[in-house]
Amino acid sequence: MSGLTLATVSHSFAGRRVLDTVSLVIHSGELVALVGPSGSGKSTLAAIAGGIVKPDQGRIMRNYARHGMVFQQSRLLPWADARANIAFPLTLAGMADDCIAERTEAAAQAVALLPADLSKRPEELSGGMRARVAIARALVVEPDFLIFDEPFAALDPALRRRMQDLVLSLAQARGFGGLFITHDLYEAARLADRIAVLDRQGKGIMGSLAPPGPAGARSEMQIFDFVEQARRAPLLSDLVNVDERALSLDCACDTLGFRRCC
Amino acid sequence: MPSDLGIASTRLRLAEWGEMAPIVAVRIARKTVPPLLGMALFLCAWQAAHLHYGGFILPSPWQTCAAVVRTLSTAEGWAALGATLGRAVLALGMSVLVGGGLGLFAGYFAVIRATFAPVATIVLGMPATAWVILTMIWFGPSHGAIVFTITIVIGPILYIGTVEAVLTRDRRLEEMAASFGASAVARFRRVALRQILATLGPVLGIALALGFKVAIMAELVTNVAGLGAEMARARAHMNIDMALANVALAVAGLLIIEHVVIRPFQTRSSMWKRIGA
Repeated sequence: MSGLTLATVSHSFAGRRVLDTVSLVIHSGELVALVGPSGSGKSTLAAIAGGIVKPDQGRIMRNYARHGMVFQQSRLLPWADARANIAFPLTLAGMADDCIAERTEAAAQAVALLPADLSKRPEELSGGMRARVAIARALVVEPDFLIFDEPFAALDPALRRRMQDLVLSLAQARGFGGLFITHDLYEAARLADRIAVLDRQGKGIMGSLAPPGPAGARSEMQIFDFVEQARRAPLLSDLVNVDERALSLDCACDTLGFRRCC
Repeated sequence: MPSDLGIASTRLRLAEWGEMAPIVAVRIARKTVPPLLGMALFLCAWQAAHLHYGGFILPSPWQTCAAVVRTLSTAEGWAALGATLGRAVLALGMSVLVGGGLGLFAGYFAVIRATFAPVATIVLGMPATAWVILTMIWFGPSHGAIVFTITIVIGPILYIGTVEAVLTRDRRLEEMAASFGASAVARFRRVALRQILATLGPVLGIALALGFKVAIMAELVTNVAGLGAEMARARAHMNIDMALANVALAVAGLLIIEHVVIRPFQTRSSMWKRIGA
């Protein structure tokens, strides 16, 4: 049974087609990493999957009750403390205060946030703590599907690894499926059950790769060998070789700019 | 009879307070001494100018203070101050409703923004004095004319400020809210409005200050009861003490509104921005 199905999804921003008949099926409990070069439309696909953007064409079938979403740069409310940020989706849903408090504490504990951290505002938190708050905010809705849009791209390698470990342990403990957008092949190989490769011009999924064994049980050597082997595969030639300077200006990854292209 | 434990606890607390007292005193001094020093310097310069030019041209701070007390000891003085303050606040409220309301729509809809852009530029470019003359012709020298003048002068400032506040908000936060199923209204109320109000805080302060100046100028020209009219009367009688007293009252009135209404609003709406800066 599939968790999320995107069927022939197409979308344009300001007259430029960003995604063209993209289809992707993510099975229930499966964590799929979507890789592709900058400007290929990964974030647009994540926004469509997350219900932020309505596609021009295509169908989205969600066979899950709730999804949570973790964004690049965390997107925390700067005026609210960590506790209020985590509770934000529940506040939006109009849940009772005692229930919000209980679930917020549980989500904070799941990502190893200390009680003292919960009263801090985002600017008082480090990058890693902000990422933890963003993950807790996604977990607080008790999702059965999670969408990650390059959530750790801005973190240093050591911190990124810790966050990946956190995602792995949560995925194993809770068994949720998800879509993980990244352009880091190593990250994809560490976290995902399957790696889907998006065409550099958003013209569909070019194919998939399956790292060996279940996610979380792979050794560093296995991941390293897989990544080295995958780099040589024709499927990933665009991801490995594309020069972002060769991309036209309207491919710059800015979902808010007037081009709103990717 | 207090127990030994209670006495020890009280002693400990007193000792803590004793240690904290100098730190708190330094903090308070750092906060209060510079503004007081600035005020003292200003008063010294005023006194020096008074000694140089004489009391007829420039009354001393003390003479002005005495004139302020004389003005405030009469019902007429309070009425003039209240009339000017009331007009400025009423016009500010109307400007927030009209300018801010239109600014919200223009911020969200590019067509409305493009339509109002030349109108806002023209209205903003009109000198306040021109509006005073025009409103005197249209409405006669009345309370309504002054309120209209202030509203039309500060309305475009609030309009442009609101448009900018809407356009410069962090839309990624609204995307985040949308991913958790927030409706358009919920996104506006819980995410966008907070950012818009934080940007509008300083604009409100500027609009109020300008509104107060326009109120006094309009009262002075139209001779409708208020601090401006009192200044016109003082000038006609060559009563320099009273003229300066009215100026001092105008400044004091502006400061009172700024600290009682605008600053608390700014603190409430934009504290998070200052902490983050």
